[in-house]
Amino acid sequence: MNADVLTAERIGLTWLRAAVAPVGAFGRRHGDATPPYGPGDEARAGAEIADVVALAERLDRDGVTRLRAALRAVPEATPIVARARSGDALGDVDFYELGRFVDALAVLARAWDAANGAAAARPPELHALGTLLAPGRDGAGFYLADAFGPRLRAARAALADAEAAVDARREAIAARVRDTIGIDPVGDEFVVLRDVYDRPLPDGVRVVRETPTYRAATIGVVSPERDAALARLSEEEESARHALAERIAREAEAVSRATRALGALDHTLARVAFAQHRGACVPTFADGRIAFDEATFAPLADALTARGHRYTPLSLELRGVAVLTGPNMGGKSAALAAVGFLCACVALGIPPPARSASLPLLSTIAWIGGDGPEDRARLLSSYAAEVVRARDALAGASERTLVLVDEFARTTGPREGRALLVAFVEALRERGVLALVATHFDGVAHAARAPHLRIAGLRMEALDTVQADDLDAALDAIQSAMDYRIVAGRDGEAVSDALALARLLGLDAHVVDRARALNDAPAANPGGS
Amino acid sequence: MPGSSFSTSAPEALYALATAAARSVVVVGTAKNAGKTTTFNALRAVALRHGVAIAVTSIGRDGEPSDALDGQPKPRVRLAPGTIVALPAGLVPRSPALAILEAGAQSALGTTVFARVVLPTTCEIAGPPTARAMRETIERLRGLGTGPVFVDGAIDRVAALAGGDDAVIVATGAASGATIARVAAVAGDTVARLMLPGRDPSRERARVIVVVGALDGRDAEELLADARDATVVVEDPTRIAIRGALFAKLRAAVDLRCERPLRVVACTTSPVGRDAALAPRALVEAVARATGLPAFDVVADLAA
Repeated sequence: MNADVLTAERIGLTWLRAAVAPVGAFGRRHGDATPPYGPGDEARAGAEIADVVALAERLDRDGVTRLRAALRAVPEATPIVARARSGDALGDVDFYELGRFVDALAVLARAWDAANGAAAARPPELHALGTLLAPGRDGAGFYLADAFGPRLRAARAALADAEAAVDARREAIAARVRDTIGIDPVGDEFVVLRDVYDRPLPDGVRVVRETPTYRAATIGVVSPERDAALARLSEEEESARHALAERIAREAEAVSRATRALGALDHTLARVAFAQHRGACVPTFADGRIAFDEATFAPLADALTARGHRYTPLSLELRGVAVLTGPNMGGKSAALAAVGFLCACVALGIPPPARSASLPLLSTIAWIGGDGPEDRARLLSSYAAEVVRARDALAGASERTLVLVDEFARTTGPREGRALLVAFVEALRERGVLALVATHFDGVAHAARAPHLRIAGLRMEALDTVQADDLDAALDAIQSAMDYRIVAGRDGEAVSDALALARLLGLDAHVVDRARALNDAPAANPGGS
Repeated sequence: MPGSSFSTSAPEALYALATAAARSVVVVGTAKNAGKTTTFNALRAVALRHGVAIAVTSIGRDGEPSDALDGQPKPRVRLAPGTIVALPAGLVPRSPALAILEAGAQSALGTTVFARVVLPTTCEIAGPPTARAMRETIERLRGLGTGPVFVDGAIDRVAALAGGDDAVIVATGAASGATIARVAAVAGDTVARLMLPGRDPSRERARVIVVVGALDGRDAEELLADARDATVVVEDPTRIAIRGALFAKLRAAVDLRCERPLRVVACTTSPVGRDAALAPRALVEAVARATGLPAFDVVADLAA
């Protein structure tokens, strides 16, 4: 499904991708490798959405939160196993990370059970890998324990003995320094002041620097035995690591399967969480028709909720091209966005937040109205940007295209603008696209022979009693008085409620009254049909 | 301990003083090669002698055979069995193997790993790159063991000390000046800055200015011009970004304080520098006088 930057922003696609973003790297990789559904993918999209809805109903909501937290905590194991498989040496930190991976899978599986997940879909565990690492694991850590190599214990004992012998020799020299010079060589080096002791230093003491007032010295204990013991231990430890890495490499396919499963689970749980939070349905798929009942344009619903307002769910049926009119602030743009949003949901395998929906899988969604960042970068005016978008939409139009037109040509002269819009709607109809065209121009639907829908608009009786003292109160009053439902349109007039809204928003009453008088006078509407 | 007023050796006395003050002890130097790692190693050696299991990490990168910048030989960090160490995954020695306990923040050298030494080993140590991650590392080391935590610090990265209750040891020596007087002056300036007194509402002046973030040279000039006799409060001493005469001038002009004071408990001195060799006894005495703190030369076994 193609959607440019402006379209993605306006229909909430950018918001939607963030809302269903996986929590872990596995899920992100899965998502990157999973293109949106397009025309012909209806069966697969329907199956995925049905699975998500079924999981949303089955899984405990808090449990889903815990599952996602567990997924977030799963460390990356694939690169380590890949290195093992290619024969590279692994280190103890690698074994530790693999242990964490095994533990994290176990935590995830338990979280799945606790969330009432079905046994058949239980996330994978890697018991074999856990068994390989077990000798080195005491709790969450890892140590290359003696059990990993047949000669490790002996090599370590030899080194410990050699180190003890070195320490004893060093301590014997230190004791001679204390007895002879009277200072305590506790660190790796020490300084002997000449005014304290200026005779030859005890055996085993090496002078590293001399000045007229002091000698800096170290206790140097050379121990070929210790060096040999360390070299032997190093060989044994590397041998043990190599053997362990070889056995881990044999688990590569199981690790790969597990990470793929985790990616898919992360991808799915993100959608499950969305469905649980938003309410969702399993849609049917239909060509040339968009219909939904009590749907939520979630980005707007969230924004309204954050400001203490209520979102009115939308219902709509759209076949081919329809014209949508209605008052300012009545939600025409939001209705357009909701249509695009719901189509984007199904393309991404996300249950649409609606009581019911019948939606197509589209190849393109195009928003025409206003300008986006790419238009501004090309120094296009708003009008020019709209025209270029309209041109592109017509050029690429097919039955699998959804065009959302938001007050096209509003920034040019109303007579020519209206004419252009009528002609554009006719062209959209001829190309068989799905389109919803919002406008304040009168008579566009009639002139273009397109169905007319309108936002129900202000309930004037509710406004009569409103005396808003400030802007927030006015906005609250408008929201309370506005009926955001989409209903069948009346021929001809596109009601804007502009004057009533201007009064509510605090414009000088004399100005509003004068405007009303002008509007009511004959031939007052130069933009009318 | 020649010339000492302590009954034990200088390293023993320094260890006792520092570990009595706090669970974690951070050694910072007034310059590169000021004897910081030597002090750090002396503290570890005393702990080992007493059979105390410690935890260690470094704010900079320490324990490499020679300095990465100037090629000078540096003391290696030799760790005894039982020591808990925080170091990047890329610096974990392959042999003898360490017991990996947990993993923490990321750094350029890989994930910070917390590990326990099983057999004696010599290694490089480096901490995470940010002050916040370093602070978390110190706190995790405190949680992983019961003994003291020793941190090989860095004077230019003292921000990691903010928000902690560490005991701070300032290492100074011939690397920071060609004469004893110069070394002592640098040490005095550093300690005065790090020992900025805490805020005391009962003694604040009529005008109180709280400086958010670093107090830099431009702030200092403005305060000297407009805020003489005011109480000036910074978050902690690590926010003071001025040195030397300007710091001294500001300190004399205003009542300079901080919300979270540090606990500087001692200085150590190193008479050996690349270009100078100073008289150890005179140096340790001069630094003690300039800072007002106990001063120790842990290699010459001197204290003042």
